[in-house]
Amino acid sequence: MPVTIAKERWSSKCLETVLGTGSKQVKVGGDCTLPFLHFEGEIPNPPVAALEVLDAPPQEWPDFLSALYEGVLGDPAAWAKKCVEYGADLVALRLTRIHPDGENASPEEAARVAASVAEAVDVPLIVLGCGVEEKDAAVLPEVASALSGKNCLLGCATQENYKSIVAGCIANGHAVIASSPLDINLAKQLNILITEMNLEPERIVIDPSIGALGYGIEYAYSIIERMRTGALMGDRMLAMPVILLVGQEAWKTKEARTPDAPDWGEQKKRAILWEVMTATGLIHAGGHIAVVRHPESLRHIKGHIAQMMQPQRY
Amino acid sequence: MAETSVFFLPDNIEVKIALGQTLVQAAAEAGITLRGACGGKGACGRCKVQVSSGNVTLTGTSKITPEEAATGWVLACQAVPEGDVTVFIPEASRLVEHRVLLEERQAGVLGILAEEAVEVAPLFHTEVLRLCAPTLADNTDDYSRLLWTLKRERGIEKVWTNRRVLKELPRVLRESDWHVAVDLARIGGWSEIQGIRPTGREAEDAYGLAVDIGTTTIAVELVELTAGKVAGTAGTYNRQAAFGDDIISRIIHAIETPGGQAELQKAVIETINGLITELLQFRKLSPQDVRAVVCAGNTTMIHLFLGLDPTYIRLEPYVPAANVPPPVKAAELGLQVHPEAWVHCMPAVSSYVGGDITAGVKVTGMNDAESLALFLDIGTNGEMVLGNRDWLMACACSAGPAFEGSGIACGMRAADGAIEAVRVFPGGFEVAYETIGNKKPLGICGSGLIDILSSLHGAGVIDRNGRFVKGNTSPRVREGREGSEFVVVWGNETGHGGDITVTQADIQNLMRAKAAVFAGLRTLMISVGLEIGAVERVFIAGGFGRFINIRDAIAIGMLPDIPLESYTYIGNSALKGARLALISRKAGEEIKAIAGRMTYVELSSGNRFMEEFISALFLPHTDMSLFPSVEGGSYGKVHSCH
Repeated sequence: MPVTIAKERWSSKCLETVLGTGSKQVKVGGDCTLPFLHFEGEIPNPPVAALEVLDAPPQEWPDFLSALYEGVLGDPAAWAKKCVEYGADLVALRLTRIHPDGENASPEEAARVAASVAEAVDVPLIVLGCGVEEKDAAVLPEVASALSGKNCLLGCATQENYKSIVAGCIANGHAVIASSPLDINLAKQLNILITEMNLEPERIVIDPSIGALGYGIEYAYSIIERMRTGALMGDRMLAMPVILLVGQEAWKTKEARTPDAPDWGEQKKRAILWEVMTATGLIHAGGHIAVVRHPESLRHIKGHIAQMMQPQRY
Repeated sequence: MAETSVFFLPDNIEVKIALGQTLVQAAAEAGITLRGACGGKGACGRCKVQVSSGNVTLTGTSKITPEEAATGWVLACQAVPEGDVTVFIPEASRLVEHRVLLEERQAGVLGILAEEAVEVAPLFHTEVLRLCAPTLADNTDDYSRLLWTLKRERGIEKVWTNRRVLKELPRVLRESDWHVAVDLARIGGWSEIQGIRPTGREAEDAYGLAVDIGTTTIAVELVELTAGKVAGTAGTYNRQAAFGDDIISRIIHAIETPGGQAELQKAVIETINGLITELLQFRKLSPQDVRAVVCAGNTTMIHLFLGLDPTYIRLEPYVPAANVPPPVKAAELGLQVHPEAWVHCMPAVSSYVGGDITAGVKVTGMNDAESLALFLDIGTNGEMVLGNRDWLMACACSAGPAFEGSGIACGMRAADGAIEAVRVFPGGFEVAYETIGNKKPLGICGSGLIDILSSLHGAGVIDRNGRFVKGNTSPRVREGREGSEFVVVWGNETGHGGDITVTQADIQNLMRAKAAVFAGLRTLMISVGLEIGAVERVFIAGGFGRFINIRDAIAIGMLPDIPLESYTYIGNSALKGARLALISRKAGEEIKAIAGRMTYVELSSGNRFMEEFISALFLPHTDMSLFPSVEGGSYGKVHSCH
């Protein structure tokens, strides 16, 4: 019996964002349909995966994860190179040293580190602040200026601190991560505010805030899915690509932190699976960039994406 | 007191001022408003004038170049005449936009609905009848004879009476030679004979009362029943206010304080009695002349008025004792009118959509119209009704007391001295405003608050989130005790000497209030599958609506973005509706029918309302396509610059 494949017709598509320069440039977004429904519309760019680099040796990472970066943990530029060797499409530099409760490193220092990392790799660079809104507002414009012309992705900008960060991105030709707390309306409001500063919508990437598998992933899933359907139905302020900050969520779960145990099995396998499941689940919701920590997670995620990018036979 | 005289050019106006007053004050005396962003501190340099003869003492010299000073230029706010002076005021120093703006603003204020004429058929009337005298061949009893005559002559069936009337009946019929005046009170389809008198001795006109029992204020109209004319109106604050400002605190008082419910009933009855006494004295009437009463109020107010238990109004699933309480005799409630007078209450739909709303809908006529209309009563509770002659939907959302001026640092009710219209000029340096009664400003009322929200955004002082934009150099934007604030009026212009400000917290309160109204509306529209643009007419009720500037209310995303002509102000529609029911039984029946076919949408069920609320917490809205005329925020700017 012949089967008729039901096809949804969408009036619009996601915005396409270009990150980086040169041959390793990365394009994300531009989707004309829901994730991986190749039979329904064009999906010009596959989702991508980034590995995380810290500007200081990580305190909270389990040994089996840190061990993979043995010898480069104190040198962010070398660490970034290692990430590229592991196959990362992008490198995400996390500025931990600027945190006011810790070293409280200066914006200039952070900019110097970021510039050294950018110099070391040819893949696009993502730079993440420490999450303290005021400090990030002071640091990221400085970073933006040090990376001028490299077309990086800087964040996270929130409703509280977007102005200086966005201004830095406009002045130096970067894209910005617009971060909102798991609410489609708040995400949209921030995107409107940012575009009203005259940053092109194509230079915004949405961080919808996510939870790891078992820690509220379903909320993130439905928010991301609604953003995608909104984008496909013509809402330009929801049409930006979505970044998934997976590593920071997955590696703080009980499942990733509990050592080997008879009932729970091997920690390493478990932790990696947790990171992979969180990332792939949300990629299926409509995520475009997954930022993860374990190279093996990266390999699994990229393998899965490659499989999903095969056109369907019908 | 020593005086000096100041002569203004080119206006050719001379004024006398006390020694020590500045040229700004002199100009004000002459009816000329000078520009001045700094409030007379000599900081902005906008009130520049030229002294062409006489001397002035300068309290400061900032913002004036030596060349200018040499030719007599001074800042009017810093110049005190030493003797008689002549002063030239250039066009640039005059606040000419002020009047134009406020006139233009008036264009956005609502027209008033013309009242529809109704056929007078009041709830109480007197019929003059001639009965056939009994004979041996026609020996029907007196009462049956009367009923039969009423039916044959007037078509009035379903009649009853009381023992007192029957006692009088044989004597009155015979003394009057079977020609009598019969007093009839009408309830539902029934009529009660309340009295019978010989003709000729009849009588003063019968009066009725229409009462609007509001949570905050109570208004009463005395109506001449046969003519259907209003003979007097009075209003005052509801004395229940002593037990709490809103209905929830009143209900809590009723439940939790021993005797609380009786206290609240007494308070409202006393308030109404006070108003009745006032009206009757003015017209030299007695309580006996008032033969029917119709009350409209929200469900809680009616419960407290009738002494019904309001407990379950507040508790899920929010069920009142009665939506349509039967009429009661005035004597039972202690109202100072004719003891036999029936007190009717307008029918409610639910705990939060009361008889004030159903009566209001009748006033709009939307229940008979083909076009889709929206009825909005915005107060502490925003009630709204959507529909036409085929269907009616209602909902109620809590907007909070912000629009009543409560919960806002410098908020006040719409009374004398309340700022009701405001324009903030780009950058936030200058403000033009208008107060009720043209008194010195004391605070800001609801319509002024809407203006402020709209024009602060238009002027670039706050962003779309309602937050103060950092780096504003206007002296009006400052850090107050509770964060950033904007000075609307400096203390030297106000009635109480203190600055009138809006704080960041006030702005967030207003944002929530306007978001609640629009979210309620959107939820209602979506529940029937319609887009906002489908609304063809909007009726605004309540005291707050009188001075509301629709343009601004649209610009902040509170009211739907449809043409201004679609909006109509209908005043105290609850009171008008009650009066209609009093003088026209048909209108009363229609209001019952309206209540009967109105579908209530409970916003607290499901999460649609919450979602709509969050998307409305933005200026004007997260979905800007809902506000095409406000697109890009240019709306406020265009209208405040010219």
